[in-house]
Parts: sequence; structure tokens; C-alpha cells
Amino acid sequence: MLKVNGLSVRYATARGGVQALDDVSFDIPAGGALGLVGESGSGKSTVALALLDLLGPAASLSARTFSFDGEDLLDPVPARRQVLRGDQIAMVFQDPSQALNPAIPVGRQIAEPLVRHRGLSRTAALSRAEELLAEVGLPRPREVAAAYPHQLSGGMKQRALIAAALGCEPRLLVLDEPTTALDVTIEAQILDLIEELRTRLDIGLLFVSHNLGVIERVCDEVAVLYAGRLIEHAPAKALFDDPRHPYTRGLLGSLPRPNDGRARLTPIPGEFPDLTKPPAGCIFAARCGQVEPRCAAPQPALDLGDRSARCWQAAAPVAAMAAPVVNPRARPRSSDLPLLVAGNVTKTFRLGGPFARNKVHVNAVDHVSIRLMPGEVLGLVGESGCGKSTLGRCVLRLAEPDQGATIQLLGRDLLAARGGSLRRLRKDAQMVFQNPDGSLNPRKTVRQILRRSLVLHGIARGKAADRRVDELLALVRLPAHYTGRYAHQLSGGEKQRVSIARALATEPKLIVLDEPTSALDVSVQAAILNLLGDLRDELGLAYLLISHDLAVISHLADRIAVMYRGALVELGPAESVLRPPYHPYTEALLSAVPIVGSAWRAAERIRLPGGIVGAAPIGCRFNDRCPRRIGAICDTAPSLATVGPDHAIRCHIASAALTPSSAVAAAD
Amino acid sequence: MRGVPGAVWVGGAILAAIVTLAVLGPLIEPYPFDEFDVVNRLQAPSQLHWLGTDEFGRDVLSRLMHGAAYSLVMGFGATAISLVIGMPLGLVAAYFGGILSASIMRLIDLLMAMPPILLGLLVLAVTSPSVWKTMVAVGLIYVPIMTRLARAVALSLVGEEFVLAARARGDNAIYILFAELLPNAWPPIIVECGLRVTFAILLGSALSFLGLGSQPPGSDWGLMISDARPFLDDAPWMAIAPGVALCIVLISINLLGDGLRQALDPRLLRRAA
Repeated sequence: MLKVNGLSVRYATARGGVQALDDVSFDIPAGGALGLVGESGSGKSTVALALLDLLGPAASLSARTFSFDGEDLLDPVPARRQVLRGDQIAMVFQDPSQALNPAIPVGRQIAEPLVRHRGLSRTAALSRAEELLAEVGLPRPREVAAAYPHQLSGGMKQRALIAAALGCEPRLLVLDEPTTALDVTIEAQILDLIEELRTRLDIGLLFVSHNLGVIERVCDEVAVLYAGRLIEHAPAKALFDDPRHPYTRGLLGSLPRPNDGRARLTPIPGEFPDLTKPPAGCIFAARCGQVEPRCAAPQPALDLGDRSARCWQAAAPVAAMAAPVVNPRARPRSSDLPLLVAGNVTKTFRLGGPFARNKVHVNAVDHVSIRLMPGEVLGLVGESGCGKSTLGRCVLRLAEPDQGATIQLLGRDLLAARGGSLRRLRKDAQMVFQNPDGSLNPRKTVRQILRRSLVLHGIARGKAADRRVDELLALVRLPAHYTGRYAHQLSGGEKQRVSIARALATEPKLIVLDEPTSALDVSVQAAILNLLGDLRDELGLAYLLISHDLAVISHLADRIAVMYRGALVELGPAESVLRPPYHPYTEALLSAVPIVGSAWRAAERIRLPGGIVGAAPIGCRFNDRCPRRIGAICDTAPSLATVGPDHAIRCHIASAALTPSSAVAAAD
Repeated sequence: MRGVPGAVWVGGAILAAIVTLAVLGPLIEPYPFDEFDVVNRLQAPSQLHWLGTDEFGRDVLSRLMHGAAYSLVMGFGATAISLVIGMPLGLVAAYFGGILSASIMRLIDLLMAMPPILLGLLVLAVTSPSVWKTMVAVGLIYVPIMTRLARAVALSLVGEEFVLAARARGDNAIYILFAELLPNAWPPIIVECGLRVTFAILLGSALSFLGLGSQPPGSDWGLMISDARPFLDDAPWMAIAPGVALCIVLISINLLGDGLRQALDPRLLRRAA
């Protein structure tokens, strides 16, 4: 159906031409699903935009074949190009909150192209829009059609966008990171919907994503893009079980998995090549561990029957990778004094100004108690809005918890501290933030940023402070000459390393890591996770690791706390939380995460209906979405009940009954 | 200094020349600025009077040079006053929020609601007119603008994680306001200051016109422009000369401000080699 052969795209930029895509070829048969994987900058979105004819004027495109059902997608007449796109190819964008116009009701936005492309009358188009909304599984489509985008949750918006894309009955759906902005349980719903639509409507898919797990779930074929070149193309199973290109292997080795036994990840060394002057030979040679002399010559794609790869060594399967070295960590001794004891932490936000008639009180964090031993990593997992970041900030007193909370750091009362004594406490507990772009002051050099902590706490001054800055950079594996750089001169991973160095500068005992890797590419994330693990072991640090990503959490954490709508629903040692008995929410979370690896593939999926909208229900907070609701008792609030050593679950269902049920257990 | 844009040098040089002329004005002016020469009134520019004469036969060039000092002091002084009072208020309002922010901003709204001339009159009515009081009055009039601007810029920054990181490190509010927020808030504030200087010169002369600033036969550029109004047909040079002088000051300040904005932005520096 779609035939792409030798697609190249070049952008003119101030620094010279950038070869965004170089000789990319692939086909999608009718009803087929191709996954396009790559890290940021790999050119995967450029492919999608080229298909939709959305490349800007700065791009120049060339291809030997670029056709859809025999019709040329490069037709010089713009009108003909547009007809083909509007009719046959539709696109779903990444961020549903930005793809809908906030000032127009959703139904009208879906109906508009029907009026234009299909010549329907306004009323007919609107009722068709409602049908489409029903088709993508939205309850009460009439109300949804009349709603404005802000009245819908993220998952509903993404469904509405898919409905809009289906409007003209396309035969190819281009999905550009359609679930990246969504929570895992919502992502699982959307992926189910995409799979279902594909089989029911026989639509072809081009699924663009950085997330290998998602691609594996949805696609038959996978193409891996690196620096604008298609370096490997294979059936999904073959690619994940037996990757032939070293880059694909590197990507897979970078992935933390819940069942990886916390082996050290194997990130890809080196950096992305400069595409203004790409190397003549293999584009990956500079980062490859098995370079041969012939790699310096232009690298053709090796055709291996049903798969191809741009590597001379791709013909033979690689010997099974050495079994990962598992280094069991000595559990922190329980005789030590606890480092952090937080009890009854509650944080209520009041929405509306001082004169608002109906003030809304939101319990972001609701009576949460945690404790952390020296050298221990507590993972705090939950979906967006569950209060995990607020809890992290309360614990450092960057947000003021409500009355009744107690927070003790090394036995000292954090909430009573003022001025100088608060500053001395802050020295022991630091924070690393999520967004590498916002967490460094753009007007300060790395040296200024790191020195401030040293001088403020009287750790070092003058020449000694400069020496200490160099040591800190060495600690986070950055070269010493980075001291003079500003934030914009660093890559995302490097910025995060500087943030970590800044946290380390005060010689803390505890670091709160708030989504430290969620803005990073997989291979960079692996390097940062390794670094965090090493620093913990070298310096005896304790972490409160906050993340939405269960794989990241279980890779580092000794104990895991699961939060849902402000409350802890499960708390226990990592190995107990990841194994039954589960809280129903933990179980759903585990089964929603798309994880690469055959063992998890067969797992029966548990789906949570709906999303988090409006005020929390009365009683158990999870009772409106719980797949295992047992009756009226769920309308009363359960308490945290001990189900095993150090392991507690907040559920009315008895712990024995929480044990079986799941197929996730079978994979274990 | 490498990396400083040429605009800074050009703007700075022009401004320095004007300031030098203003300082030396009373010493080198070709005629006494207040010497009447009724016979030669409303003369077009000539070799004797380079910029012509006004309705009393006074030499326009001499008056321009004599008034420069007054106008520049008015412009820069009033802007400095509004900056020193208004900017910290805006930063504080943005950073602390809540009741403090609401009180500051309502106070600012109150100040903004009053017509500038009335406000000036109020300040000056209490005491006898003098140049520095006019300057203070004009400065106060522009406080709300600076406060609103500083607050708007800072509001977009206080949510950034580097501010949170500074708090987590143990820095106090004053350090965060002036060492973390302010360096990022400078660019729009600098540009605004450049504009304010010229507005302040004009508003200062409006107050002078009402008898509240420099008193006749004293001279300032704004007063010269308004004095020239009845003679625009017969003696346009009376208005053109101070108008052009004002323009040159405006352009040089804006060149300087824009250049400084670029020089202070590390993102515009070339990548450290």
C-alpha cells in the first residue's frame, strides 16, 4: 500500500544543511503495522511529517519511490497531494492537549474536515462525529461532542483525536508518539483501542515511538532509525528476540525491566553524530564496540530475507549476551537510626482566589507516612496527579504540609526549623528535578551553580571550592572543562548530571529524585540510572526516587511505595510489591506497563476503566475504577493492613484473596 | 571585551557625547541661553545662529545645550527612581504571591488609576516647585509600570525548577530574588527602561509646562517643544531641534539597552570553545 524507497530529507539551517533522513526505505502493506523506533533526533517524526506533507519550506525532500496505492505522494500539484492525504492518510499527534483547539467544542472539530472533504452538511457531519466518538469507546458521545477540550481528560482527548483521524475513513493511520503524554493505565486503554480499530477497520498503521515496549505490543514489523538512517528492519519478534544491529542491542540493553534483577544497564557509549557533517562510513561506527576497517566505507543495508540491517556483522545472530551481573546489595542494617521519618503528611490545595464563592479543596497528599533508612532507596510510584511529587516536596519542606504532619531528618524536627537551622537541615537532604532544561539557571555557569552550594554551607571557599567543583564533576562523570559552560551548552543527560552534582555538593545523606530520567532518551536514562546506583554505593546515599515508570523504580528501589490519589495503597520491599499479593491498583499498573521481553508478552491484561476525573470517591479512593470491587464495603475507607514482612496493602480484600487472579504472577 | 555587540559601543558613544555636551553646555554655549534679541526673533538657522532663534530671539542651540542637563537628569533620574522602587516590589509580589502580592498589586492599581499629571500636581502642590521634586514625581508615576513588568517576567520564572533548587539548597528569599531571578528578568526590564527615559523627559516637561518643573527663563527640551507649538508654521526649527535631540537620545539608549540585553544573554554567546 505505502511504498517508500530512498527517502531523504535535508533541512537548511544556520549551521549548514542537516541530513535529517538519508535513504530510508520501507513498505506498509494494507492493514499492516510498522513501528518506527528511534531516540530524539533520529528523524522519526520527520518521516511522519513527510508522509503528511507537513514538512516546512526549509526542508528539501527526495525519494526514488514515495507512493500510496500507486499514487505519487510527491505529485507536484499541491491540491492533488492534499486530497490523497486528507482522504487516505490521517495523523494522530503526540500531545492531545495541544492538538485540539481549546475554544471550539470537540464535536465541531471532528465534523469540520467531514464538511470540507466529504461535503456533508453541518448536522450530518456532527452526527457522524458522535458516531465516531462512540466508535473510539467514549461513553455518552453526544455530551463529549458538545464539550470543550478542557472538560475532557487526557485519555478522552486522545480518543477524540483518533476519532477525528478516522473521520474520512483513512487506510493508513500515522501515529506520532500517541501515548507518550499519557499515564500508563490510560496508555494501555489507547493501545487496546488502536489494536481493536486496526483489526476491525483493517487500517494500516505507521506507529512512531521512542518506547520499545509500546511498539512491541502494537506492531508486526519494526524499523529502527538512528541519525536519519534506517539501521535495522525486521519482524517485531525477530527484532526483540534477536537484534542484529549493535545500536538495537544497545537500546534493548539500556532498558530497565522490573524483572532484571537490578543488573547494571548497558548504555550506549558516546554521543549522537553531528548531522551537519555525517561520517562517510557507518553512522554508528563512532559509538560501536565492534568496529572493523570496512566500517569506514559507506554502509549498505544487508538484506537477510525477511529482515535487513545496516551492519556488516548482521548476518549471524549474536551469541547470547553474557548473563547480566547481579550484584546483590547488602540491605541497610535495621539497627541504624532512620534517616527520614515522615508521619501523617497531608497537603491540601485550595483552588480559587480569596473571594471565590466555591472553594475547592484538593487533598494532594492524604495522611502519608514513610520512613527511610540510611543508604536505602524508596521508590514512590504512581500516575500523574497522585501526589508523589508533592509528597517529595513536603518531605524537603519545599511545600508546607498541613497541620499535624511530622517530619524528622536524622532525628531533628524539620517542620519546626527556621532560618539558619533549616539551612543546616537542608544540607543533609537535597533534590534532583525532572526537567533538565528548567532546573539549571540559564544565566549561570556550571561552576557558579556548584560553587554556590559550597560557599553557602561553608564547605569550601576560594581555591578549595574550585577544586571541589572539579571533584564533583568527576563524580558525575563529566569532564573538568565543563565548568565554564552554561546550561544551553549541555545536552539533556549532561544537564541532569550537573543537577546531580549540585545535589551532591552539600554532601547530603538523602536525595529526593523527582522523575530524574523521564525527560531523557532510553540510552541516556540507562547511563543516569547506572550513575545513581554507583553514587548510592560509593557515598552511601539514600534516595527517595519518584517516578511514574515502574521499570525505573524497580530497577533502583529497595522498597516501593505505590500512591493513588494522594494515599499510599501499597508499601513494602521491592520484591514483595512486584509479586502477589498485590493491591488491585498495583496489579493493574504492572499489567499496563508495556515491557519488552517475551515472558511478559502473554500476560493477561488488566484494564482500568476511565481515568482520574473530578473529586476522589468516598471510601476507598480506588473504588470507581477498581476491577475487583467487592461491594458496599468499598464505600468505606480501608486501612493499610500488613500482609507480609514489612509489606502493607490498603484494601478490603483479604491478602490471601489478593494473591492469585493475575497472569502477571504466572510470568514470574 | 569580546562578545559585546557593536550596538553597545555605538549607543554608548552617542550617549557619552550628549552627556559631555550637557555638562559642558553652560561653558561653551555660543550665546547666553536667556539673552533676548527681539530684533532677530524667529530667525531661520544661519551662520550666526546654527539652529535659529525663538520667539524672543534667543539662540536655539544655546538653549538646547543648556536644557540638556535638565532633561537628561529628569529622564535618567525618574527612570532610576521607578526602577529602584518598582522592580523589587514586582519581584517580591511574584515570588511570595498570596496576600502580600494582592496588597502590592492593588496599591499599584490605585497608583495607576490616577492621571499622571494629577499625581504630579499632588506631589508638587504640597511643596514649592523644584527640579528634583519633579523628578521624584515622574519617577513615582512610572513605578506601577515597572512593578507590573517585573512581576510578569518573574512570574514566568518562579515556577522553574532552578528556583526550587535554590530553596532546597537553603538559599533565602533575598538571594533567590536578586541572584537567581533578577539576572533572568533583566532583558525586558532593560528595554523598558530605555523607553521610560524618553517618556520621563516628555512628562517632566509637561509638568514644567504647568509651572511645576524648570521655571522660565530656564530651559528644557520638553518645554522648548511645547513653546514652539504656536510657531510651527513660521519657525519649525524651534521644534525640530529639541525633537531631533530627543530622538538621538532615545535611539542611543535603545541601542545601548538592546546591546546590553544581548551581551548579558549567555545563549547568544558563541559556544565556549
